[in-house]
Amino acid sequence: MGRVVGIDLGTTYSLIAYWDKASGGPKCIPGPYGETLCPSVVSVDADGSVVVGEPARRRLLTQSDRTIYSVKRLMGRGVADVQDEVKIFPFRIDPASQNVIRVVLGARIFTPPEISAFILRELKGWAEEFFRDTVDRAVITVPAYFNDAQRQATKDAGRLAGLEVLRLVNEPTAAALAYGLHEQRRGLVAVYDFGGGTFDISILKLIATGEGDIYQVFSTNGDTHLGGDDIDNVLQGIARAEIREQFGLDLNRHPEANQELRKALIHAKHQLSAMPSVTVRFPLPEGGLYVRQITRMEFDAAIQPSIDRTMGPVKLALADAKLKPAQVDEVVLVGGSTRIPLVRSTVEEYFGRRPHAELNPDEVVALGAAVQADILESGVKNMLLLDVTPLSLGIETMGGVVAKIIPRNSTIPASAQELFTTGVENQTGIDIHVLQGERELAKDCRSLARFQLKVPPGPAGLARVEVKFLIDANGILQVAARDLRTGEERSVEVQPSYGLSDIEIEHMLEESIEYAEQDFTERQLIEARNEGESMLRATEKSLAGDQAAELDPAERRAIDAAVAALRQAMAGSDYKLVRTRIDELNQATMRLAELMMNRALATALEGKRVAEV
Amino acid sequence: MSVTQANATTSSTCWSCRAATAGQHFCPACGKIQPLPRETDYFAFFGLPRKLHLETAELEKRFHRLSWKLHPDNFVRAGEYERDLSLDRASQLNDAYRALRDPISRVEYLLAREGMRKEGENKQQAPPELLEEVFELNESLDELRSARQAGGDGNAMAALRSRLEAEQRNFEERLREVDADLDGVFSQWDAAIDAGAGEAARKKLMIRMNELLNRRSYIRNLVANVQRELGEA
Repeated sequence: MGRVVGIDLGTTYSLIAYWDKASGGPKCIPGPYGETLCPSVVSVDADGSVVVGEPARRRLLTQSDRTIYSVKRLMGRGVADVQDEVKIFPFRIDPASQNVIRVVLGARIFTPPEISAFILRELKGWAEEFFRDTVDRAVITVPAYFNDAQRQATKDAGRLAGLEVLRLVNEPTAAALAYGLHEQRRGLVAVYDFGGGTFDISILKLIATGEGDIYQVFSTNGDTHLGGDDIDNVLQGIARAEIREQFGLDLNRHPEANQELRKALIHAKHQLSAMPSVTVRFPLPEGGLYVRQITRMEFDAAIQPSIDRTMGPVKLALADAKLKPAQVDEVVLVGGSTRIPLVRSTVEEYFGRRPHAELNPDEVVALGAAVQADILESGVKNMLLLDVTPLSLGIETMGGVVAKIIPRNSTIPASAQELFTTGVENQTGIDIHVLQGERELAKDCRSLARFQLKVPPGPAGLARVEVKFLIDANGILQVAARDLRTGEERSVEVQPSYGLSDIEIEHMLEESIEYAEQDFTERQLIEARNEGESMLRATEKSLAGDQAAELDPAERRAIDAAVAALRQAMAGSDYKLVRTRIDELNQATMRLAELMMNRALATALEGKRVAEV
Repeated sequence: MSVTQANATTSSTCWSCRAATAGQHFCPACGKIQPLPRETDYFAFFGLPRKLHLETAELEKRFHRLSWKLHPDNFVRAGEYERDLSLDRASQLNDAYRALRDPISRVEYLLAREGMRKEGENKQQAPPELLEEVFELNESLDELRSARQAGGDGNAMAALRSRLEAEQRNFEERLREVDADLDGVFSQWDAAIDAGAGEAARKKLMIRMNELLNRRSYIRNLVANVQRELGEA
């Protein structure tokens, strides 16, 4: 078996971490650029191959229509759910998609779990490179307020990426785990997790027991569509309106410039966390320069509504835990958006205490996931997470009313048994509709699944089928049925309302294996091109130096020929050929390098006495 | 079902080593987690007598101790069968804790399990001794609603509000009385358990508790209604 890791699959960035035995703590694994943050961006090339992370993010500016960011917002959702966002996204949604969104990227079409799987596979690659070993199991974090379909979609993504998902852990809980480990905390803790696309609040208690520490979540609340993205949208909306007004320019017609503007505004947002004012200078695609000073005060006013939206869930979570703000012992800030001063002051004012932000808010969730991964992997545990289900589970009854069978904030795993019978004579099936949410009517709740219990025909009320609804430790629903008259277990074919069936996933797995080679090739090609690029630059520099004059004409011709051959190979898409040409250029420049080395040595020795050498 | 029966555990043999398990969570011989007998009593799950006054700190301690042992975290590396058993037991543990930690859901569970939880035939009907007060309250609510629809002048609305608030306080007091009454019957129930009282005596107590629960939920609905109306006004 391979290694186990913890993964924070974030809206804007994703991270991968592991338990470092040497230091006795969790650590994030850096990628090829030395960064632990992998942009959650996926881009598809003209030839159908896939690029992930930083190189994909660069393509947001040049190939925005075939590059996708913030895919987490689409996980486990239907087309109708994301109408507003789709307007801002530069990529296209397949009009044929219904309960699972299908995103069109170039010539290929993907579901959100498939896109997330690309990100997971990229991170898995980072870790495998780091360990020089395979990685096959992971703990993946999800927003605490994710519903069943969003969780299932995340689990599917793991499976598609070739990872056994040991557990889905709620992000705020993972952060609490990392903090608890770090600070040895006790008592009531509120975790305020404001990320790129989601907001969560969790209230939990850290309890020391004879066996170890228990992290018991009392309540959780949130908004799976509220994050830094929304703040960026507000800023972008203002800027676009001003550009339209001042220059008569509609940026809708310039998707690339639009992305460029977004990037500039995000940069300004980051700067405003440290500075009282910034000035954005944005050259417009049809000429002209949009110059805009943004003061902290103006920024705060613009984002106030988004910050206010986080406080509703905070109050609900406290009410569910039957606590007043002042009773909370510690407040922990998680997620990049908590760097915003207004967020910090709002939280501090509400709880009446300075929140903790000692750990890197970007990394803390991944670190917590690594802790949980180690707990599950090693079997040596001195910590136990008792998390809750964020939403009530219910079934539709007469008149479209929902009967709650597992209340929200129940510790998971949790279950409920319901008895069903027939209402009319010779009825052969009982239809069951499972929902999640707090509203009274089925139409206002989230549909999870529908299924039919088959019963033998007979008089009304004769059939008696007991259905067990179980929410597992991942927060995912399982259903089992049992015929009480025969005692027989019944298999239940549950059709998820928003999600992929097993068959679809199998099919995608096959497809992904087919494409895996192509994706690997693409990655190799990018790396080889980058290497070729730096090789060419170095050669150019050497040829411009004094030592080049010492080469004989044949040597010089060999170098020129090798340079031309490398350039030609780099224009193609055969990474092996690029590598060969790099090696050849290396050979050809061997003597030149030697000459330069000698020269460097001579310079170093100059002016020094022999005795010193 | 008698109380002693409920406390006693179904004896059976271990699925793995065939040793007698006496219905415990784990086999005393080989330590393997055991399948959960159907319809396990929540009190028995915690090894507690079926008393209605229970020490919540003690319950919590048992909940935590059992969580350490039964949680699926412990079975990630076990076979599928054991993983399923852990999921079953751990979910039952959480369901049981949820039901027992709160005194009202505790008695509701007990009555439901004994087939003695019967909601009033017409839940909307006021208990006779409350009829007059309920009538007055509804009148005040009607006045408030029509005053609000009419645009309502400030003074009249304020007067109505304070009248309703007084009525609300009255019903909240009634709620406290019901809770005190319930608490009294809980004590009688616990004494009956200790004394090993017979079926008939226990049944009588359960009927009384069921009545009090119905009365309680009626008044609670009433108070919630008033709160909602006052909130809108």
